[in-house]
Amino acid sequence: MSDPSRPTDSGTAPPITAAAGAGASDAARTACVLLVDDIPSNLRVLYESLNGRDYRLLVANGGAQALEIAQRSHPDLILLDIMMPDMDGFEVCRQLKADNDTADIAVIFLSALDDAADKIHGLELGAVDYVTKPFHPEEVAARVEAHCKILRLERELAQRNRQLELVRDRILSSMVEAVLGLDAEGRASFVNPAAERLFGLGNECLLTRELSDWEPAALRQSILRVLAEQRELSLDELALPRPDGSTVPVELRAAPIADAAYPAGVVVVLRDLSERRRVEAKLHRTSDELSRSHRELQAAQMQLVQAAKLESVGRLAAGVAHEVKNPLAIAQLGLDYLEQVSCADAVSCQVLADMQQALSRADTVVRGLLDFSRERALHLKRGDINDAIHNSLRLVRHELTQRNIAVRTTLAEAIPERPVDADKLRQAFLNLFMNAMHAMEHDGTLAIHSSLCTLASDELGPHARDAGFLPGDRVIRIAIEDTGPGIDPDDLGLLFDPYFTTKRQGEGTGLGLSVTRNIVTLHGGSIELFNRPAGGACALLLFHPEAVDVGTAPRSREALLRDRTERQRNTDR
Amino acid sequence: MSKKKILLVDDEPALTRMLRLNLEQTGRFEVREENHGNNALRAAREFRPDLIFLDVMMPDVGGDEIAEQLKQDPALSGIKYAFLTAIVTKRETGTGAAEISGETFLAKPVKREELLAVVDELLGA
Repeated sequence: MSDPSRPTDSGTAPPITAAAGAGASDAARTACVLLVDDIPSNLRVLYESLNGRDYRLLVANGGAQALEIAQRSHPDLILLDIMMPDMDGFEVCRQLKADNDTADIAVIFLSALDDAADKIHGLELGAVDYVTKPFHPEEVAARVEAHCKILRLERELAQRNRQLELVRDRILSSMVEAVLGLDAEGRASFVNPAAERLFGLGNECLLTRELSDWEPAALRQSILRVLAEQRELSLDELALPRPDGSTVPVELRAAPIADAAYPAGVVVVLRDLSERRRVEAKLHRTSDELSRSHRELQAAQMQLVQAAKLESVGRLAAGVAHEVKNPLAIAQLGLDYLEQVSCADAVSCQVLADMQQALSRADTVVRGLLDFSRERALHLKRGDINDAIHNSLRLVRHELTQRNIAVRTTLAEAIPERPVDADKLRQAFLNLFMNAMHAMEHDGTLAIHSSLCTLASDELGPHARDAGFLPGDRVIRIAIEDTGPGIDPDDLGLLFDPYFTTKRQGEGTGLGLSVTRNIVTLHGGSIELFNRPAGGACALLLFHPEAVDVGTAPRSREALLRDRTERQRNTDR
Repeated sequence: MSKKKILLVDDEPALTRMLRLNLEQTGRFEVREENHGNNALRAAREFRPDLIFLDVMMPDVGGDEIAEQLKQDPALSGIKYAFLTAIVTKRETGTGAAEISGETFLAKPVKREELLAVVDELLGA
């Protein structure tokens, strides 16, 4: 900053021939003013008007020199004489304004010309003010001061703007959400880095997009709606296509740019939902797994409870049965003896007959107990389930006829043979037929259907599910329907519990259905009881056409003994 | 025709008594009761029955053991015998007696007619 031509502010005479000013001024600092006049005395007056104030002053004595200094030193303001021999002030101004480097320099014309046309001409060329000679130094100083103040404010404003823009850019850059600024035609005017990442496109590509380029259609429609209605809008989810063909789930918020001073537009904010969706899906899966394992645990627990109950009931039953059998035997033989030796009168005979019947009932109960305690293993041979149905029916047909109960059987011939324990199945069906008979008491119809069919999902009950049946399975389906009063809804859950009975004292042991379910389960099958819409109850049994391995419980000594019995009987036949 | 002799071995005196009454009532049998398993063989040697009914489960000695000893005693091995048991149920034996490993079983509670049918069968009457 040691330019020799630089005027000093020491109060000495200005260097009239000074060729150039000092270095570039700083907006925040002292304003730099270039004084241009071809007449040295005028320059001196100007110089003195402004000297001693807070300016840096440069001088030029002609138009060409003024342009040269303007380009080199870039003053903030030029006081420009119009009438100069080498180049008049208008031309200097025109050239200044034509040059990008100097166009922003404020120009105040100084001239003796006092013509409105000249003033207008000067202002049209881009001057900010006009002072006519002869002028008062105070007026010049006041005008210069006023313009410098304007310049300072403008620069501060510009700087503030730049800072605000920086802050805005930083905010937009650091946003997780993608932000798009669109103009009224739907063209992007700004995008933030998150938008580039979300769209998978560079900003040069996004910034050339037209309205019709925005995908999916929901995004285009949202932009149009916001422009048309000038209201905010949000979409919970839309699928944003990416260049690789995939889509990203995003949440959309779009708002009109509401400032009346700016042209209409839309700001679109897109939030990437894929992470949230992933977490939600994971949560869902975890919750599904939890509730499934909860259900499985519950089922397992129920099975354990049931198994424990059966086990303890079974053991108790066997013990009781054995203890009861000896007294029963004594009473039986005693009665038989009495019937032989003394049947003196009708009343005594009736008493003996009643006692016989009571004994027979007691024996039935005891046998039921033993059967129940022994449902642990099967003796499988290939056989037809229809045969078991026929054989069981044969045992009750007489009583059914007596009770005026009709039997309707529709047994499919196509049912394949499969491994069955014929005796056990016969017992199971017998129990079901007896139940139906007791439910109807007198008059009615016992209908028995068997078929090989595809399992419908509405016939898949809880027991069937536990037994591993699935909708669409090929199954042997057996339905036993009665026309009795049906099952009390309160009892539905208890039917298969050991010792649950709705029958009169002495008619049932409460073990029939429990035994039946056990037998069916051991065959890998299932049984459900429900009320028919038409009235009456239905027992629905399902079996796999081929045996599935259901596992057999450890066999007791008793079972082994029984095995021997079976083998013996089979070889004896 | 001399009466056939039947020995009843069961720890329940009431049961052997009922069996005896039913058998004697036919007038065709001479019956003796024995309520201690341990005494069964001695009773058999003294009484020389044609047929012995043995309870399978008795507190001192099981009917199956007694049967083994009967078979091993040459003096007694010709005697027919059948088991009375509470273990095998009627459903399993069908009606009347069942043969298990060649032995005859009668399931309690036994009826008079079943009892007589088994006796007739074993004694070839």
